[in-house]
Amino acid sequence: MVVIIDKEKCGGIADCPGEGLCIKLCEQGAIKEVDSEPVLVPENCDDCDLCIQNCPNQAISKG
Amino acid sequence: MSSVEREGKEIRSLTHKNEKCVGCGICSDVCPTTAIKMGPLLPIARGLVKMDYLTINKNDCCLCGLCASSCPFDALELDINGINTKKMDNYPLWTHDASIDSETCIYCGRCSTACPTDAIFLQRSLPDVKELVRGETEVDQDKCIQCGVCEEMCPAEAITMDRNDINSSNPSIASSVDIDESKCIYCGICRRACPVDAIKIVCTTCMERDEIVNPEIKGDIILDEDTCIKCGWCQEVCPVDAAEVTKPFEGEIFLRDDFTCKGDSCHACADVCPCNAISIVEGKSVINPIFCILCGACTKACPQQGIILKRKNMNLENVKSKAWTNRLADLLED
Repeated sequence: MVVIIDKEKCGGIADCPGEGLCIKLCEQGAIKEVDSEPVLVPENCDDCDLCIQNCPNQAISKG
Repeated sequence: MSSVEREGKEIRSLTHKNEKCVGCGICSDVCPTTAIKMGPLLPIARGLVKMDYLTINKNDCCLCGLCASSCPFDALELDINGINTKKMDNYPLWTHDASIDSETCIYCGRCSTACPTDAIFLQRSLPDVKELVRGETEVDQDKCIQCGVCEEMCPAEAITMDRNDINSSNPSIASSVDIDESKCIYCGICRRACPVDAIKIVCTTCMERDEIVNPEIKGDIILDEDTCIKCGWCQEVCPVDAAEVTKPFEGEIFLRDDFTCKGDSCHACADVCPCNAISIVEGKSVINPIFCILCGACTKACPQQGIILKRKNMNLENVKSKAWTNRLADLLED
């Protein structure tokens, strides 16, 4: 199971109600900002699911 | 033919005090009209988003007051014609409580340091040094070379050397070296450090092997009912059993057996816990039930629903409405 960020649902950091909340919440540095969008760094992910639960756009899931 | 008529005006207002709210969501759980929407608990608790823990939909709220009556933190208040329902005889009343017996309290300050909401204020007056140690001192001003070593080394800052302005008509460095006996602790450092053996000092308390009588420490201890969340820290750390706490709920809380807690990465539960009852030990969440009030905030913050909360009883009395009793029963384990 790997974390997937749905780009369409996400809509980019500029329009995020949490201003990139997933990046701020992840203390493992498993989500980084690339061209104003959150991008997963799979090798850093600890599968804690914080990003999934807290994404204001429900754009993050596991598949 | 018979008829019943009633006429009158009642003004109801529901107020949410975010500064008292912990985001536990009990109000939202009991609201019969789903008018209370919880905000993102963890991001709010971590200060990542600036918003209140909850919002009340004005159109959905029926102003029944069940949320206000069931909030263990008094973060919601319903006023009817300007009177708080918590002061009304026909509304429920929490019997959770915390108190510190000032007769028993020894003003050690452990509770005040441990209290997670800074609800305990301590003021104390400590005994005078003279009540604890006595002695005699003497400086031989003729032997003294006014080097200032004793002044520099005195741990009690009890020695002062009265320095002179050096001039050719009065070539002395200082007029005197004095030991202030109200500050002196008769440790003898000055005597040992003096290069010319000009100081005599005896600690009579040590010499006579005085029986030590602990002087009374006087003080005041105030527990602020407004900020106290009845978590039990004060009761647990009090060395003389002066603090007594009755929590809002009784029951149990534990991690799901098949739950792989990612405590080091996540620690959402510890961040939202208002009681400082959760710590991360070896990468896993550890909930200490002694300090937990079973508010349920952690269960809602855990992204993997790994925390199981089973409330068995709530210390809420005087629930007169059957409908409210049924609704409140949903907070408890079946």
